[in-house]
This record gives sequence, structure tokens and C-alpha cells, in this order.
Amino acid sequence: MTTTNDVPLRVENLEVHYHTRKGPVKAVDGVSFELQKGERLGLVGESGSGKSTIALSLMVAHKEPAKIEGGKIFLNGTDMLSLSDAEVRSKRLSEIAMVPQGALNSLNPVMRVRDQMIDGLKAHGVSKSKEEFADFIAELLRRVGLDGGVAEMYPHELSGGMKQRVTIAMSISMNPSVIIADEPTSALDVVVQRQIVQTLLEAQKQIGAATILIGHDMGLMAQFATRMGIMYAGRLVEIGPTREIFNNPKHPYTQLLISSLPNTQGKRRLSGIPGITPSLLNPPPGCVFHTRCPKATERCKIELPNLITEENEHSQACHLYTEPAKSEEEVTA
Amino acid sequence: MSSASPEIAPSDVQIDDDQIGIIKTVFEVIKRNKTLVSGLSILLLIGLFSLFGTLLIDPERTEVGAGRPAQSPSSEHILGTDQQGRDVFADLAYGTPASLIIGLIAGVIGVGIGTALGFLAGYYRGYWDTFISLTTDVFLTIPALLVLVVIASMTTVLSIEAMGLLIGFFAWMGPARTIRSQVLSLRDRSYVDVAKFNGVRDIEIIWRELVPTLMPYIAASFVGTVAAAILASIGLSALGLGPQNEPSLGLTIYWSVTYGALIREMWWWFGPPIVVIVMLFIGLFLMTAGLDQVSNPRLRTSV
Repeated sequence: MTTTNDVPLRVENLEVHYHTRKGPVKAVDGVSFELQKGERLGLVGESGSGKSTIALSLMVAHKEPAKIEGGKIFLNGTDMLSLSDAEVRSKRLSEIAMVPQGALNSLNPVMRVRDQMIDGLKAHGVSKSKEEFADFIAELLRRVGLDGGVAEMYPHELSGGMKQRVTIAMSISMNPSVIIADEPTSALDVVVQRQIVQTLLEAQKQIGAATILIGHDMGLMAQFATRMGIMYAGRLVEIGPTREIFNNPKHPYTQLLISSLPNTQGKRRLSGIPGITPSLLNPPPGCVFHTRCPKATERCKIELPNLITEENEHSQACHLYTEPAKSEEEVTA
Repeated sequence: MSSASPEIAPSDVQIDDDQIGIIKTVFEVIKRNKTLVSGLSILLLIGLFSLFGTLLIDPERTEVGAGRPAQSPSSEHILGTDQQGRDVFADLAYGTPASLIIGLIAGVIGVGIGTALGFLAGYYRGYWDTFISLTTDVFLTIPALLVLVVIASMTTVLSIEAMGLLIGFFAWMGPARTIRSQVLSLRDRSYVDVAKFNGVRDIEIIWRELVPTLMPYIAASFVGTVAAAILASIGLSALGLGPQNEPSLGLTIYWSVTYGALIREMWWWFGPPIVVIVMLFIGLFLMTAGLDQVSNPRLRTSV
């Protein structure tokens, strides 16, 4: 067990609610995980499962009406939620960087790539001469597979893939210890998607940052992540090494998710998951997945399963793997 | 940079940071942006006319009795004289800059206040927004010209500068509203988020990310406000409520109307100020359209 200071990112019981007129929507409901140095975590889940909300909360850049209701986010040992706005700003980019969703709009159309990249550095008090900045930016661009000349260009002169490479170059410009990539490949075609994830992987390996890749493409996740977390209705239902998740999924939701993927070995009918995600305004009692779960029991409708770690660092939140008596003791205790 | 990949090759807007690059950029803009150039030329022409006019023409020629009254154009008076013997050409030469100054003062004040309020309301939202939007909406319902007429008729001596200030204080609502709505849409753009993720401060986001993007709007509202202010000042003067002791385009129109220049077919009296006013507005309009192309790189046409 490592001490808190050695862990780049540690999230404890994070709760984020969107306050709407109908009441609070529990977008993220008690999520905990830890990221080791150089680790690559893939966070998957369907739309509305809270993936992007987690990403924004980790940057403390969540917008109204979202509010962090509880939990702690330790970045290199400091609780991000206890910091002032100015302190949070100084942590962004230098310690925790974000590769945004929607590559096509994430660059300012009226600024040259170089100026946009320099702005972030200057905000952190990096001062260099014009030539030094030019060399530095050209080197960063080369690291993500772009020509140094791209620095002089405007975003509308770049393709979607090139734009996303620029945002990756930005994110690694100050060697952060954590990078969050929130669906960096949305709005790109499959070939480019693969290249972008490869670029991210290489950049990540160079600086050794712990990385979270958010998305719903299981193929890309398998290519990138060393560990995977499965989100459902604001909760982390399963987390474990990527290979374990694919070969030995524990949670029924993960099992259904894996079995809905096309497979090259033998023909079979692809199965979907019946039903829809429950409303997060009034989540069902007990396990959030019991309304759609083929293996649901009476116990699932009453009692909320906790995330239990078993062998191989593989954890799941499902009653199938725990004895009712034991967990009842826990409940009463 | 010469080893650019094929994707970079089609771009011909590779501009270096040195002086030659800047001069080249200006030249490129002139070559491509005919709208802006024609607008600027018209305004420059009017500006030069006022400058050399005020320098070369004796100000006494704008005074009553400077020449024989109601003379048609001759070699002595290029555009003739009015009913009270003022030289119409000299009147124009001194009156045009007065109208321009009123317009500029009002434009700077109106757009300055409006832009600041627009950014405050649009970017920070919350109570600021409620308060500013409410105030803007209330002020918009007040007919500015009516208030100006009342104020102008109450004050006995109104200088050119005071007139500009007065009009400026009734010209900020339009810019405040346009800028606010633009900022509302821009603040949620992905690249503003990216700047935030990169730890850039709010004030720098406004200054570096939003203001450059909004330059076309700010420039357009500036030119629009200047035009509206000139129109208001001419309107007030034409009603006889403007500065009476200094020549202005509106005052010339006021006298020509008062003395029935139209019925007496004294075209050299009522015609020239109208021509100057029309040219001024065409020039301002072309400038707005051209500025839009400068501020927005996507509208720049490659040759």
C-alpha cells in the first residue's frame, strides 16, 4: 500500500449532483478509485452514466447546475476541493491536464495554434524568449506527430485529427502527473480514432502520466487502457485490469456489455441490453441495475451492493459474489 | 518551416513575425479586402477635406456677412453663399469635422460602456446579468432623441464635445445587448473550456479568447454607433437644437430649411451637406463590412 502522496490521483466517494427544478440528479453517486503512476484507466459506460461529469469534477471545472456534494479528490496528495480558485487554476495543466471532447471546436478559430499553446504556459508563469517558445512548441508538436509549422496555422487550416493532436500536445506541455482524455475521438473517423489513441498512448508513455480515457468504444479501450472501470447510472460497478474485464467480467452489466460486442471468433447473434438507464432523479432502490439485470434477486431490490475487491485487483459491486448474511452484518454494524 | 507537410502547403498566409511580415499582411489585406479599402478611402477623403479645409480656409468665411448673401457658385465662392452671406464651402469644411468629432466621442463612450457591461453580464452571469440586462431593457424603451431634444432645448450653450458626451450616454444599450448575447454563446464554446482547463484566468480568457473573436461585432457596433450618433447630432442641429455658435452639417441644413433654400432652388446650399452626409454613411457602412473580413480569418478570401 502506497502513501497518499505517491498516488497521482485518488478519488474518494465522489458525489456530484445536478440541481434541476425537479430535484437533484445524482450524476455521480459515490465513486472511488485510485490511479497509480503511469497507469492508464479506461472509463466506460453509456451516455449519462456520469463519465464526463467525473472528468469535469476532477478538474474542478464543473458548471452550474452541477455541484460536488461530497467526497474528496486527492491530486498528488492535495485535496483539490479544499483549494481556492487560484490554487486550482495553478494545478490545472501543470499537474492535471485535460484533452477535451469535440476536437473540432476546442481550438479558438481566431488564434494561431502557437498562441493558444503559449497562453496556457504563460498562465503558469512560464517565461521564455520568443525563439525558445517557438522551439518548445515545435518540439511538442513533433511529439504528437505534427509538423512544427502547424504552430503558425489557424485551426480552420487543420483537419479534425490534427486539431486533436494539437490538444494532446497542449495537455502534455507541462508534464502533468494526470491526464484526462474525455472522449478525445468523438467526431473522428475510425482510422483517425486509432491514430489519436496511439498518439495519446505514446505521449503518455513519454511523460509517464497517469491517464484516464473516457469513452464507450471497447476496442479503443482495449488498445489503450491497462485498467478499466465500468460506470452505470452514476456508479462504478466494476473496475479491474483490462484483460480481466474482457476475459472474466463479473458484474452482469459488464457481462452483457462484453457479450454485445462483435467477435471475430465464430458467428453468433449479438445481444443487446434490454431496457433503458433509470432516471437519476429517482434512482431505483437497491442496486441501480436491478431493473434490467437478468440475474436480479429480491435482495438486489432492497440493498445497495458495495464495491468489493477480490483477487487480481478486480472489484465489482454485485450481490452475486457476496453472502447475504455477511453483508447483512455489515449493514447492521 | 519550408519542410512543411503537404497539408500545410496550400496555405499562402504563412506570415512571419518580423516587420516585413506585418507590412506584407497589410498589403495582402488591401489587395483582398476591397470593401474595407473603399470604405476607408471615402472616410479618408472626407477626413482630408476637413483637415485641409480647416487649415487653408479662413474661419471668418463661415461667419455671417462674410460675402454677399445668396450668391450662386462662382470663382470667389466655390459653392456660393447662403442667405446670410456665409461661404457654403467653408461651412462644410468646418462643419464636417464637428459632426465627425461628435460621432467619435459618442461611439467611444457608447461602445466602451456597452462592451464592458455586455462582457460583465454575459461572462459572469448571476446578479450582474440580471441587473445589467434589466437596466439595459429599461433604457432601451426611452426614446433617446426625445430626451436629447429636451436636454438640448434646456441648455443654452452646447459645445461639440458636450453634444458627443450626451449622445454617447444614450448609445450604450445596443452594444451592451449584442455583446452580451454573443458572450453568452461564446463562453460555452469548447475552446473557452480548454483555456480554463489550461489554468488561464477569467480576465485573460475574456481578453485573449473572447475579445478577438468579438472584434467584428465590437467594430461593427462602434461604426454603427458612430453613424447613429452623427445622425442624431445632425437631426438635433437640423431642428435648431445643436451648437449654434459653431458650424456643423446639421446647422447648415437648419438654416437652409429656415430660409426656404429648397423652394428658392438654392441647390448649392442644401445639396452639398446632404452629399457629404450620404458619403459619410456609405463610407462607414463599407468599413463595417470590410472589418468583418479582417477580424474573421475564415472570411478572408485567398487569391
